[in-house]
Amino acid sequence: MFDEKDMILEAKHVTRRFPASGGRELTACQDINLKFYRGKTLGLIGESGCGKSTFMRFLVRLDVPTEGEILFKGKDLTKLKGEELRQTRQYIQMVFQDPSGSFNPKMKIRDIICEPLLNFGRIKPSEKDVVARKFLEAVELPGDFADRYPHNMSGGQRQRIAIARAIALEPELIIMDEATCALDVSVQKTIIELVCRLQKEKKIAIGFIAHDLGLIQAFAHQIAVMYLGTIVEILPGEDVDKAQHPYTKALLSAVFDMNMDFTKKIESIDSEIPSPLDVPSGCPFQTRCDHCMERCRQERPALTEIKPGHEVACHIFGREE
Amino acid sequence: MLEIKNVTISYQDRPTVKDFSMSLKEKEIASLVGESGSGKTTVIRAVLGLLAGGGRVTEGDILFEGTSLLKNTPDQWRRLRGTDISMIFQDSGAMLNPIRKIGDVFVEYIRTHENMSKGEAWKKGVEMLERMRLPSGDNIMRSYPFQLSGGMRQRVGIAMAMTFQPKLLLADEPTSALDVTTQAQIVRQMMELRDEYGTSIIIVTHNLGVAAYMSDWIIVMKDGRISDSGDRDAILNGNHNDYTRKLLEAVPSLGGERYV
Repeated sequence: MFDEKDMILEAKHVTRRFPASGGRELTACQDINLKFYRGKTLGLIGESGCGKSTFMRFLVRLDVPTEGEILFKGKDLTKLKGEELRQTRQYIQMVFQDPSGSFNPKMKIRDIICEPLLNFGRIKPSEKDVVARKFLEAVELPGDFADRYPHNMSGGQRQRIAIARAIALEPELIIMDEATCALDVSVQKTIIELVCRLQKEKKIAIGFIAHDLGLIQAFAHQIAVMYLGTIVEILPGEDVDKAQHPYTKALLSAVFDMNMDFTKKIESIDSEIPSPLDVPSGCPFQTRCDHCMERCRQERPALTEIKPGHEVACHIFGREE
Repeated sequence: MLEIKNVTISYQDRPTVKDFSMSLKEKEIASLVGESGSGKTTVIRAVLGLLAGGGRVTEGDILFEGTSLLKNTPDQWRRLRGTDISMIFQDSGAMLNPIRKIGDVFVEYIRTHENMSKGEAWKKGVEMLERMRLPSGDNIMRSYPFQLSGGMRQRVGIAMAMTFQPKLLLADEPTSALDVTTQAQIVRQMMELRDEYGTSIIIVTHNLGVAAYMSDWIIVMKDGRISDSGDRDAILNGNHNDYTRKLLEAVPSLGGERYV
Protein backbone atom coordinates (compact mmCIF):
# COMPACT_ATOMS: atom_id res chain seq x y z
CA MET A 1 0.00 0.00 0.00
CA PHE A 2 3.00 2.29 0.49
CA ASP A 3 5.69 2.99 -2.06
CA GLU A 4 8.48 0.46 -1.53
CA LYS A 5 10.99 3.14 -2.54
CA ASP A 6 10.05 5.03 0.61
CA MET A 7 10.85 2.15 2.91
CA ILE A 8 13.65 3.16 5.23
CA LEU A 9 13.75 0.39 7.77
CA GLU A 10 12.75 -3.23 7.67
CA ALA A 11 12.68 -5.70 10.53
CA LYS A 12 12.96 -9.29 9.37
CA HIS A 13 12.12 -12.31 11.52
CA VAL A 14 13.11 -10.54 14.69
CA THR A 15 13.03 -12.77 17.76
CA ARG A 16 14.21 -11.99 21.26
CA ARG A 17 14.50 -14.50 24.08
CA PHE A 18 15.49 -13.66 27.61
CA PRO A 19 16.86 -16.30 29.94
CA ALA A 20 14.56 -16.90 32.90
CA SER A 21 14.99 -18.73 36.15
CA GLY A 22 14.94 -22.53 36.16
CA GLY A 23 16.57 -22.79 32.74
CA ARG A 24 13.42 -21.52 31.06
CA GLU A 25 13.24 -18.94 28.32
CA LEU A 26 11.00 -15.94 27.97
CA THR A 27 10.18 -15.10 24.38
CA ALA A 28 9.46 -11.38 24.30
CA CYS A 29 9.32 -11.05 20.53
CA GLN A 30 8.59 -13.88 18.14
CA ASP A 31 9.33 -13.61 14.43
CA ILE A 32 8.37 -9.99 13.90
CA ASN A 33 8.36 -8.50 10.41
CA LEU A 34 7.58 -4.82 10.09
CA LYS A 35 8.42 -2.05 7.64
CA PHE A 36 8.77 1.67 8.28
CA TYR A 37 8.16 4.19 5.50
CA ARG A 38 9.34 7.76 5.06
CA GLY A 39 6.79 10.25 6.36
CA LYS A 40 4.47 7.55 7.68
CA THR A 41 3.55 6.52 11.21
CA LEU A 42 3.46 2.93 12.34
CA GLY A 43 1.42 2.49 15.50
CA LEU A 44 2.28 -0.52 17.62
CA ILE A 45 -0.40 -1.44 20.09
CA GLY A 46 -0.89 -4.12 22.71
CA GLU A 47 -1.29 -4.79 26.41
CA SER A 48 1.54 -4.23 28.84
CA GLY A 49 4.12 -6.99 28.68
CA CYS A 50 3.38 -7.95 25.08
CA GLY A 51 6.87 -6.99 23.89
CA LYS A 52 6.14 -3.76 22.05
CA SER A 53 8.78 -1.72 23.85
CA THR A 54 11.29 -4.56 23.58
CA PHE A 55 10.89 -4.49 19.83
CA MET A 56 11.19 -0.73 19.47
CA ARG A 57 14.35 -0.74 21.58
CA PHE A 58 16.07 -2.82 18.87
CA LEU A 59 15.52 -0.03 16.37
CA VAL A 60 17.49 2.45 18.46
CA ARG A 61 19.99 -0.28 19.33
CA LEU A 62 19.36 -0.18 23.03
CA ASP A 63 19.16 -3.95 22.77
CA VAL A 64 19.89 -6.57 20.12
CA PRO A 65 17.55 -9.34 19.01
CA THR A 66 18.49 -12.99 19.46
CA GLU A 67 17.64 -13.75 15.87
CA GLY A 68 16.68 -11.83 12.78
CA GLU A 69 17.93 -8.68 11.16
CA ILE A 70 16.96 -5.04 11.08
CA LEU A 71 17.87 -3.37 7.82
CA PHE A 72 18.30 0.39 7.81
CA LYS A 73 19.44 1.76 4.44
CA GLY A 74 20.73 -1.67 3.55
CA LYS A 75 22.82 -2.01 6.70
CA ASP A 76 21.98 -4.53 9.40
CA LEU A 77 21.61 -2.52 12.60
CA THR A 78 22.13 -5.57 14.76
CA LYS A 79 25.68 -6.09 13.47
CA LEU A 80 26.95 -2.51 13.55
CA LYS A 81 29.80 -1.68 15.91
CA GLY A 82 31.91 1.21 17.08
CA GLU A 83 32.06 4.41 15.07
CA GLU A 84 29.72 3.14 12.35
CA LEU A 85 27.05 2.43 14.97
CA ARG A 86 27.58 5.84 16.55
CA GLN A 87 27.18 7.55 13.20
CA THR A 88 24.00 5.60 12.48
CA ARG A 89 22.42 6.67 15.75
CA GLN A 90 21.88 10.19 14.47
CA TYR A 91 19.32 8.92 11.98
CA ILE A 92 17.14 7.17 14.55
CA GLN A 93 16.04 9.02 17.67
CA MET A 94 13.73 8.23 20.52
CA VAL A 95 11.18 9.99 22.74
CA PHE A 96 10.51 8.24 26.02
CA GLN A 97 7.36 7.77 28.04
CA ASP A 98 8.34 9.70 31.12
CA PRO A 99 9.51 13.18 30.17
CA SER A 100 10.87 13.88 33.64
CA GLY A 101 13.05 10.78 33.71
CA SER A 102 14.65 11.29 30.32
CA PHE A 103 16.64 14.44 31.06
CA ASN A 104 19.62 15.17 33.22
CA PRO A 105 18.08 17.37 35.90
CA LYS A 106 21.25 19.43 36.19
CA MET A 107 21.36 20.43 32.54
CA LYS A 108 19.68 23.53 31.16
CA ILE A 109 17.23 23.13 28.29
CA ARG A 110 19.73 24.79 25.96
CA ASP A 111 22.34 22.14 26.69
CA ILE A 112 19.80 19.34 26.48
CA ILE A 113 18.70 20.34 22.99
CA CYS A 114 22.19 21.06 21.71
CA GLU A 115 23.99 18.06 23.15
CA PRO A 116 23.29 15.70 20.23
CA LEU A 117 24.27 18.41 17.75
CA LEU A 118 27.58 19.03 19.53
CA ASN A 119 28.22 15.29 19.75
CA PHE A 120 28.10 14.98 16.00
CA GLY A 121 29.94 18.24 15.39
CA ARG A 122 27.01 19.82 13.58
CA ILE A 123 27.24 23.14 15.44
CA LYS A 124 29.88 25.12 17.31
CA PRO A 125 29.39 25.79 21.04
CA SER A 126 29.05 29.50 20.27
CA GLU A 127 25.94 28.78 18.17
CA LYS A 128 24.09 27.11 21.01
CA ASP A 129 21.85 30.06 21.87
CA VAL A 130 20.54 30.55 18.37
CA VAL A 131 20.04 26.85 17.71
CA ALA A 132 18.24 26.15 21.00
CA ARG A 133 15.90 29.04 20.32
CA LYS A 134 15.17 27.75 16.82
CA PHE A 135 14.21 24.30 18.04
CA LEU A 136 12.18 25.61 20.96
CA GLU A 137 10.18 27.65 18.50
CA ALA A 138 9.78 24.61 16.26
CA VAL A 139 8.00 22.83 19.11
CA GLU A 140 5.93 25.92 19.90
CA LEU A 141 7.68 26.93 23.11
CA PRO A 142 9.03 30.42 23.90
CA GLY A 143 12.74 30.77 23.13
CA ASP A 144 13.43 32.00 26.67
CA PHE A 145 12.91 28.49 27.96
CA ALA A 146 16.52 27.77 26.97
CA ASP A 147 17.65 29.03 30.36
CA ARG A 148 15.31 26.82 32.35
CA TYR A 149 15.87 23.47 33.96
CA PRO A 150 13.58 20.50 33.29
CA HIS A 151 11.95 20.75 36.71
CA ASN A 152 10.73 24.26 35.95
CA MET A 153 8.39 22.95 33.31
CA SER A 154 5.11 21.07 33.13
CA GLY A 155 4.88 17.53 31.78
CA GLY A 156 3.58 18.67 28.41
CA GLN A 157 6.34 21.24 28.02
CA ARG A 158 8.97 18.66 28.95
CA GLN A 159 7.61 16.27 26.35
CA ARG A 160 7.97 19.06 23.79
CA ILE A 161 11.62 19.45 24.83
CA ALA A 162 12.09 15.72 24.34
CA ILE A 163 10.66 16.07 20.85
CA ALA A 164 12.89 19.08 20.16
CA ARG A 165 15.93 17.04 21.17
CA ALA A 166 14.80 14.14 18.97
CA ILE A 167 14.30 16.29 15.84
CA ALA A 168 17.48 18.31 16.37
CA LEU A 169 19.59 15.85 14.37
CA GLU A 170 16.97 15.69 11.62
CA PRO A 171 16.55 11.95 11.99
CA GLU A 172 14.74 9.80 9.49
CA LEU A 173 12.98 7.73 12.11
CA ILE A 174 11.69 8.71 15.56
CA ILE A 175 10.52 6.09 18.03
CA MET A 176 7.95 7.29 20.54
CA ASP A 177 7.35 4.96 23.45
CA GLU A 178 3.95 5.90 24.92
CA ALA A 179 5.06 9.49 24.55
CA THR A 180 1.72 10.96 25.57
CA CYS A 181 0.29 8.58 28.12
CA ALA A 182 1.56 10.54 31.13
CA LEU A 183 -0.19 13.67 29.90
CA ASP A 184 -3.69 15.10 30.19
CA VAL A 185 -5.97 14.61 27.20
CA SER A 186 -5.95 18.27 26.28
CA VAL A 187 -2.14 18.34 26.34
CA GLN A 188 -1.98 15.03 24.52
CA LYS A 189 -3.98 16.51 21.68
CA THR A 190 -1.60 19.43 21.20
CA ILE A 191 1.43 17.10 21.28
CA ILE A 192 -0.10 14.83 18.64
CA GLU A 193 -0.87 17.84 16.45
CA LEU A 194 2.73 19.01 16.84
CA VAL A 195 4.12 15.59 15.93
CA CYS A 196 1.91 15.38 12.85
CA ARG A 197 2.99 18.84 11.71
CA LEU A 198 6.69 18.06 12.16
CA GLN A 199 6.23 14.76 10.36
CA LYS A 200 4.68 16.47 7.35
CA GLU A 201 7.37 19.16 7.24
CA LYS A 202 10.35 16.89 7.60
CA LYS A 203 9.05 13.61 6.19
CA ILE A 204 10.04 11.70 9.31
CA ALA A 205 8.98 8.11 9.82
CA ILE A 206 7.51 7.51 13.27
CA GLY A 207 7.14 4.35 15.29
CA PHE A 208 4.58 5.05 17.98
CA ILE A 209 3.87 2.70 20.86
CA ALA A 210 0.51 3.08 22.56
CA HIS A 211 -2.16 1.15 24.31
CA ASP A 212 -5.01 3.46 23.37
CA LEU A 213 -6.59 2.45 20.07
CA GLY A 214 -8.59 5.67 19.93
CA LEU A 215 -5.39 7.69 20.06
CA ILE A 216 -3.42 5.61 17.61
CA GLN A 217 -6.10 5.57 14.93
CA ALA A 218 -6.15 9.36 15.02
CA PHE A 219 -2.77 9.66 13.40
CA ALA A 220 -1.18 6.34 12.42
CA HIS A 221 -0.97 5.32 8.77
CA GLN A 222 -0.44 1.72 9.68
CA ILE A 223 -1.34 -0.12 12.89
CA ALA A 224 0.28 -3.32 14.12
CA VAL A 225 -1.44 -5.16 16.95
CA MET A 226 0.83 -7.20 19.15
CA TYR A 227 -0.11 -9.98 21.54
CA LEU A 228 2.31 -12.00 23.64
CA GLY A 229 5.28 -11.25 21.44
CA THR A 230 3.66 -11.84 18.06
CA ILE A 231 2.04 -9.49 15.60
CA VAL A 232 -1.54 -10.68 15.22
CA GLU A 233 -2.86 -8.04 12.85
CA ILE A 234 -1.53 -5.26 10.62
CA LEU A 235 -4.08 -2.88 9.23
CA PRO A 236 -4.30 0.57 7.68
CA GLY A 237 -4.87 3.37 10.20
CA GLU A 238 -8.16 4.47 8.72
CA ASP A 239 -9.63 0.97 8.85
CA VAL A 240 -9.60 0.29 12.58
CA ASP A 241 -13.31 -0.41 12.53
CA LYS A 242 -12.69 -3.15 9.93
CA ALA A 243 -10.38 -5.08 12.26
CA GLN A 244 -10.81 -8.83 11.93
CA HIS A 245 -8.67 -10.52 14.54
CA PRO A 246 -10.64 -11.51 17.67
CA TYR A 247 -8.02 -9.83 19.86
CA THR A 248 -8.19 -6.51 18.03
CA LYS A 249 -11.97 -6.68 18.27
CA ALA A 250 -11.70 -7.27 22.00
CA LEU A 251 -9.41 -4.25 22.33
CA LEU A 252 -11.90 -2.18 20.37
CA SER A 253 -14.82 -3.21 22.54
CA ALA A 254 -12.86 -2.25 25.66
CA VAL A 255 -12.46 1.36 24.55
CA PHE A 256 -14.69 3.86 26.33
CA ASP A 257 -15.79 6.43 23.89
CA MET A 258 -17.76 9.62 24.16
CA ASN A 259 -20.00 8.59 21.29
CA MET A 260 -20.69 5.08 22.48
CA ASP A 261 -24.05 3.72 23.55
CA PHE A 262 -23.94 4.01 27.34
CA THR A 263 -26.55 1.33 27.89
CA LYS A 264 -24.34 -1.18 26.12
CA LYS A 265 -22.98 -3.94 28.33
CA ILE A 266 -19.20 -3.95 28.51
CA GLU A 267 -17.95 -6.99 26.68
CA SER A 268 -14.40 -7.57 27.65
CA ILE A 269 -12.23 -10.58 27.78
CA ASP A 270 -12.37 -11.67 31.35
CA SER A 271 -9.21 -13.62 31.84
CA GLU A 272 -5.70 -12.38 32.41
CA ILE A 273 -3.02 -12.39 29.75
CA PRO A 274 -1.01 -15.64 30.11
CA SER A 275 2.54 -15.37 31.35
CA PRO A 276 5.01 -14.94 28.50
CA LEU A 277 6.99 -17.72 30.14
CA ASP A 278 4.47 -20.31 29.06
CA VAL A 279 2.94 -19.09 25.88
CA PRO A 280 0.52 -21.78 24.72
CA SER A 281 1.67 -23.73 21.69
CA GLY A 282 -0.42 -22.97 18.66
CA CYS A 283 -2.21 -19.65 18.57
CA PRO A 284 -1.08 -17.41 21.46
CA PHE A 285 -4.59 -16.01 21.87
CA GLN A 286 -6.34 -19.39 22.16
CA THR A 287 -6.89 -19.22 25.92
CA ARG A 288 -8.97 -16.05 25.69
CA CYS A 289 -10.58 -16.48 22.28
CA ASP A 290 -14.28 -17.22 21.74
CA HIS A 291 -13.64 -18.79 18.35
CA CYS A 292 -10.97 -21.23 19.45
CA MET A 293 -10.91 -24.37 17.26
CA GLU A 294 -8.95 -27.59 17.44
CA ARG A 295 -6.52 -26.26 14.85
CA CYS A 296 -5.72 -23.21 16.97
CA ARG A 297 -4.35 -25.43 19.72
CA GLN A 298 -1.88 -27.18 17.47
CA GLU A 299 -0.73 -24.77 14.84
CA ARG A 300 0.44 -21.19 15.14
CA PRO A 301 -1.38 -19.06 12.56
CA ALA A 302 0.75 -16.98 10.20
CA LEU A 303 -0.01 -13.47 9.01
CA THR A 304 -2.15 -13.76 5.88
CA GLU A 305 -3.09 -10.88 3.68
CA ILE A 306 -6.85 -10.55 3.42
CA LYS A 307 -6.85 -7.18 1.68
CA PRO A 308 -4.00 -4.97 0.43
CA GLY A 309 -2.30 -3.60 3.53
CA HIS A 310 -4.39 -5.68 5.91
CA GLU A 311 -2.87 -8.86 7.35
CA VAL A 312 -4.36 -11.11 10.01
CA ALA A 313 -2.84 -14.04 11.87
CA CYS A 314 -5.89 -16.15 12.64
CA HIS A 315 -7.02 -19.55 11.44
CA ILE A 316 -10.50 -18.21 10.75
CA PHE A 317 -9.00 -16.40 7.79
CA GLY A 318 -6.27 -18.86 6.95
CA ARG A 319 -6.68 -20.91 3.83
CA GLU A 320 -7.51 -24.56 4.45
CA GLU A 321 -4.81 -26.80 3.08
CA MET B 1 -26.68 10.99 51.38
CA LEU B 2 -23.48 12.94 50.88
CA GLU B 3 -23.54 16.66 50.74
CA ILE B 4 -20.54 18.90 50.23
CA LYS B 5 -21.45 22.52 50.84
CA ASN B 6 -19.32 25.43 49.58
CA VAL B 7 -16.12 23.80 50.72
CA THR B 8 -12.76 25.54 50.51
CA ILE B 9 -9.69 23.39 51.13
CA SER B 10 -6.29 24.91 51.78
CA TYR B 11 -2.77 23.58 52.04
CA GLN B 12 -0.67 25.89 54.21
CA ASP B 13 -3.18 28.72 53.89
CA ARG B 14 -3.14 28.52 50.11
CA PRO B 15 -6.66 27.58 48.95
CA THR B 16 -6.46 24.67 46.50
CA VAL B 17 -10.14 23.94 46.12
CA LYS B 18 -12.51 26.88 46.24
CA ASP B 19 -16.25 26.93 46.88
CA PHE B 20 -16.92 23.33 45.92
CA SER B 21 -20.43 21.93 46.30
CA MET B 22 -22.01 18.67 45.28
CA SER B 23 -24.57 16.26 46.57
CA LEU B 24 -25.04 12.58 45.93
CA LYS B 25 -27.99 10.29 46.55
CA GLU B 26 -28.01 6.57 47.13
CA LYS B 27 -27.12 4.36 44.13
CA GLU B 28 -25.76 7.32 42.21
CA ILE B 29 -22.40 7.57 40.54
CA ALA B 30 -20.72 10.93 40.15
CA SER B 31 -17.43 11.56 38.44
CA LEU B 32 -14.93 14.34 38.92
CA VAL B 33 -12.99 15.07 35.76
CA GLY B 34 -10.39 17.66 34.90
CA GLU B 35 -6.71 18.08 34.19
CA SER B 36 -4.04 17.16 36.69
CA GLY B 37 -3.72 19.72 39.44
CA SER B 38 -7.34 20.77 39.23
CA GLY B 39 -8.10 19.53 42.75
CA LYS B 40 -10.12 16.39 41.99
CA THR B 41 -8.24 14.13 44.38
CA THR B 42 -8.18 16.79 47.11
CA VAL B 43 -11.98 16.80 47.16
CA ILE B 44 -12.42 13.10 47.71
CA ARG B 45 -9.60 12.92 50.20
CA ALA B 46 -11.34 15.64 52.19
CA VAL B 47 -14.49 13.50 52.33
CA LEU B 48 -12.51 10.76 54.04
CA GLY B 49 -10.52 13.18 56.20
CA LEU B 50 -7.30 12.07 54.56
CA LEU B 51 -5.87 15.34 53.32
CA ALA B 52 -2.14 15.00 52.91
CA GLY B 53 0.49 17.51 53.95
CA GLY B 54 -1.46 19.61 56.43
CA GLY B 55 -4.44 20.29 54.18
CA ARG B 56 -7.56 21.58 55.96
CA VAL B 57 -11.14 22.38 55.12
CA THR B 58 -11.24 26.08 55.94
CA GLU B 59 -14.79 26.92 54.89
CA GLY B 60 -18.01 25.05 54.27
CA ASP B 61 -19.18 21.68 55.50
CA ILE B 62 -19.26 18.03 54.44
CA LEU B 63 -22.33 16.12 55.55
CA PHE B 64 -22.59 12.33 55.38
CA GLU B 65 -26.08 11.07 56.13
CA GLY B 66 -26.93 14.34 57.82
CA THR B 67 -23.94 14.60 60.17
CA SER B 68 -20.90 16.72 59.63
CA LEU B 69 -17.69 14.82 58.99
CA LEU B 70 -15.44 17.72 59.83
CA LYS B 71 -15.82 17.44 63.59
CA ASN B 72 -15.15 13.71 63.73
CA THR B 73 -12.81 12.49 66.44
CA PRO B 74 -10.10 9.98 65.44
CA ASP B 75 -12.23 7.27 66.99
CA GLN B 76 -15.26 8.21 64.93
CA TRP B 77 -13.15 8.26 61.78
CA ARG B 78 -11.88 4.79 62.55
CA ARG B 79 -15.39 3.46 62.72
CA LEU B 80 -16.41 5.17 59.49
CA ARG B 81 -13.42 4.53 57.25
CA GLY B 82 -13.33 1.16 55.60
CA THR B 83 -16.88 0.33 56.63
CA ASP B 84 -19.39 3.01 55.65
CA ILE B 85 -17.04 4.92 53.38
CA SER B 86 -14.13 3.26 51.66
CA MET B 87 -11.65 4.20 49.03
CA ILE B 88 -9.85 2.65 46.07
CA PHE B 89 -6.54 4.17 45.13
CA GLN B 90 -4.83 4.61 41.81
CA ASP B 91 -2.40 1.82 42.54
CA SER B 92 -3.68 -0.62 45.11
CA GLY B 93 -0.28 -2.27 45.04
CA ALA B 94 1.21 0.76 46.76
CA MET B 95 -1.43 0.59 49.48
CA LEU B 96 -0.55 -3.01 50.33
CA ASN B 97 2.44 -3.69 52.53
CA PRO B 98 5.02 -5.26 50.20
CA ILE B 99 6.50 -7.58 52.81
CA ARG B 100 3.22 -9.00 54.03
CA LYS B 101 1.00 -11.46 52.23
CA ILE B 102 -2.38 -10.31 50.95
CA GLY B 103 -4.21 -12.65 53.31
CA ASP B 104 -2.32 -11.33 56.29
CA VAL B 105 -3.34 -7.74 55.57
CA PHE B 106 -6.87 -8.69 54.61
CA VAL B 107 -7.50 -10.67 57.83
CA GLU B 108 -6.13 -7.86 59.95
CA TYR B 109 -8.37 -5.36 58.17
CA ILE B 110 -11.50 -7.46 58.67
CA ARG B 111 -10.72 -8.13 62.34
CA THR B 112 -10.12 -4.44 63.00
CA HIS B 113 -13.69 -3.69 62.07
CA GLU B 114 -15.52 -6.83 63.11
CA ASN B 115 -15.25 -9.29 65.93
CA MET B 116 -14.28 -12.42 64.06
CA SER B 117 -11.92 -15.34 64.39
CA LYS B 118 -8.92 -15.51 62.09
CA GLY B 119 -10.39 -18.50 60.25
CA GLU B 120 -13.69 -16.78 59.63
CA ALA B 121 -11.95 -13.61 58.47
CA TRP B 122 -9.83 -15.66 56.05
CA LYS B 123 -12.96 -17.27 54.63
CA LYS B 124 -14.61 -13.91 54.22
CA GLY B 125 -11.53 -12.57 52.44
CA VAL B 126 -11.47 -15.48 50.02
CA GLU B 127 -15.16 -15.03 49.35
CA MET B 128 -14.71 -11.33 48.57
CA LEU B 129 -11.78 -12.03 46.23
CA GLU B 130 -13.77 -14.62 44.35
CA ARG B 131 -16.69 -12.26 44.03
CA MET B 132 -14.30 -9.91 42.25
CA ARG B 133 -13.72 -12.77 39.79
CA LEU B 134 -10.22 -13.41 40.94
CA PRO B 135 -9.44 -17.04 40.25
CA SER B 136 -8.53 -19.17 43.28
CA GLY B 137 -8.91 -16.66 46.10
CA ASP B 138 -7.07 -18.96 48.46
CA ASN B 139 -3.93 -18.73 46.34
CA ILE B 140 -4.11 -14.98 46.16
CA MET B 141 -4.43 -14.72 49.94
CA ARG B 142 -1.13 -16.58 50.14
CA SER B 143 0.66 -14.31 47.64
CA TYR B 144 2.70 -11.18 48.08
CA PRO B 145 1.53 -8.06 46.23
CA PHE B 146 4.44 -8.19 43.77
CA GLN B 147 3.37 -11.64 42.61
CA LEU B 148 0.13 -10.27 41.17
CA SER B 149 -0.43 -8.26 38.01
CA GLY B 150 -1.59 -4.64 38.17
CA GLY B 151 -5.16 -5.58 37.29
CA MET B 152 -5.26 -8.31 39.93
CA ARG B 153 -3.89 -5.98 42.61
CA GLN B 154 -6.52 -3.42 41.72
CA ARG B 155 -9.20 -6.07 42.14
CA VAL B 156 -7.74 -7.01 45.51
CA GLY B 157 -8.06 -3.32 46.45
CA ILE B 158 -11.68 -3.26 45.33
CA ALA B 159 -12.43 -6.54 47.15
CA MET B 160 -11.06 -5.02 50.36
CA ALA B 161 -12.96 -1.78 49.87
CA MET B 162 -16.21 -3.67 49.35
CA THR B 163 -15.88 -6.10 52.27
CA PHE B 164 -18.21 -4.18 54.56
CA GLN B 165 -20.55 -3.10 51.78
CA PRO B 166 -19.86 0.62 52.16
CA LYS B 167 -22.58 3.11 51.47
CA LEU B 168 -20.11 5.33 49.69
CA LEU B 169 -17.13 4.28 47.61
CA LEU B 170 -14.48 6.81 46.65
CA ALA B 171 -12.32 5.82 43.71
CA ASP B 172 -9.21 7.81 42.86
CA GLU B 173 -8.19 7.09 39.28
CA PRO B 174 -8.89 3.37 39.76
CA THR B 175 -8.16 2.41 36.16
CA SER B 176 -5.60 4.86 34.87
CA ALA B 177 -2.62 2.56 35.48
CA LEU B 178 -4.27 -0.35 33.69
CA ASP B 179 -4.57 -1.70 30.16
CA VAL B 180 -7.77 -1.04 28.27
CA THR B 181 -8.97 -4.62 28.62
CA THR B 182 -8.37 -4.64 32.38
CA GLN B 183 -9.89 -1.19 32.64
CA ALA B 184 -13.07 -2.48 31.04
CA GLN B 185 -13.21 -5.34 33.56
CA ILE B 186 -12.76 -3.01 36.55
CA VAL B 187 -15.35 -0.54 35.27
CA ARG B 188 -17.83 -3.35 34.80
CA GLN B 189 -17.20 -4.61 38.33
CA MET B 190 -17.70 -1.18 39.83
CA MET B 191 -21.01 -0.84 38.01
CA GLU B 192 -22.07 -4.23 39.39
CA LEU B 193 -21.29 -3.04 42.92
CA ARG B 194 -23.78 -0.26 42.52
CA ASP B 195 -26.43 -2.66 41.20
CA GLU B 196 -25.83 -5.36 43.80
CA TYR B 197 -25.17 -3.41 46.97
CA GLY B 198 -26.65 -0.02 46.19
CA THR B 199 -23.29 1.65 46.75
CA SER B 200 -22.92 5.28 45.75
CA ILE B 201 -19.66 6.00 43.99
CA ILE B 202 -17.57 9.09 43.42
CA ILE B 203 -14.92 8.41 40.82
CA VAL B 204 -12.02 10.69 40.03
CA THR B 205 -10.73 10.13 36.54
CA HIS B 206 -9.14 11.89 33.62
CA ASN B 207 -10.60 9.39 31.21
CA LEU B 208 -13.72 11.14 29.98
CA GLY B 209 -14.92 8.00 28.22
CA VAL B 210 -14.98 6.06 31.49
CA ALA B 211 -16.64 8.99 33.26
CA ALA B 212 -19.31 9.22 30.59
CA TYR B 213 -20.01 5.51 30.66
CA MET B 214 -20.29 5.17 34.43
CA SER B 215 -21.76 8.33 35.83
CA ASP B 216 -25.12 9.85 36.46
CA TRP B 217 -23.46 13.15 37.26
CA ILE B 218 -20.30 14.67 35.87
CA ILE B 219 -18.44 17.51 37.54
CA VAL B 220 -15.74 19.24 35.51
CA MET B 221 -13.07 20.94 37.59
CA LYS B 222 -10.56 23.56 36.60
CA ASP B 223 -8.04 25.29 38.86
CA GLY B 224 -9.79 24.18 42.04
CA ARG B 225 -13.23 25.33 41.03
CA ILE B 226 -16.21 23.63 39.47
CA SER B 227 -16.19 24.82 35.92
CA ASP B 228 -19.21 22.82 34.79
CA SER B 229 -21.52 20.23 36.26
CA GLY B 230 -24.69 18.44 35.37
CA ASP B 231 -26.08 15.07 34.40
CA ARG B 232 -24.26 13.10 31.77
CA ASP B 233 -26.30 14.16 28.77
CA ALA B 234 -26.12 17.82 29.69
CA ILE B 235 -22.34 17.67 29.88
CA LEU B 236 -21.82 15.62 26.75
CA ASN B 237 -24.32 17.39 24.53
CA GLY B 238 -24.55 20.84 26.03
CA ASN B 239 -22.43 23.44 24.37
CA HIS B 240 -22.65 26.00 27.11
CA ASN B 241 -19.14 25.72 28.55
CA ASP B 242 -16.00 26.36 26.51
CA TYR B 243 -13.68 24.43 28.77
CA THR B 244 -15.88 21.32 28.80
CA ARG B 245 -16.11 21.42 25.05
CA LYS B 246 -12.36 21.76 24.73
CA LEU B 247 -11.81 18.76 27.00
CA LEU B 248 -14.34 16.66 25.11
CA GLU B 249 -12.81 17.52 21.76
CA ALA B 250 -9.38 16.48 22.99
CA VAL B 251 -10.47 12.91 23.68
CA PRO B 252 -9.31 10.70 20.84
CA SER B 253 -12.30 8.78 19.70
CA LEU B 254 -12.74 5.77 17.47
CA GLY B 255 -13.82 6.86 14.04
CA GLY B 256 -13.22 10.42 15.16
CA GLU B 257 -10.97 13.11 13.82
CA ARG B 258 -7.80 12.05 12.06
CA TYR B 259 -4.77 14.26 11.77
CA VAL B 260 -3.20 12.60 8.75
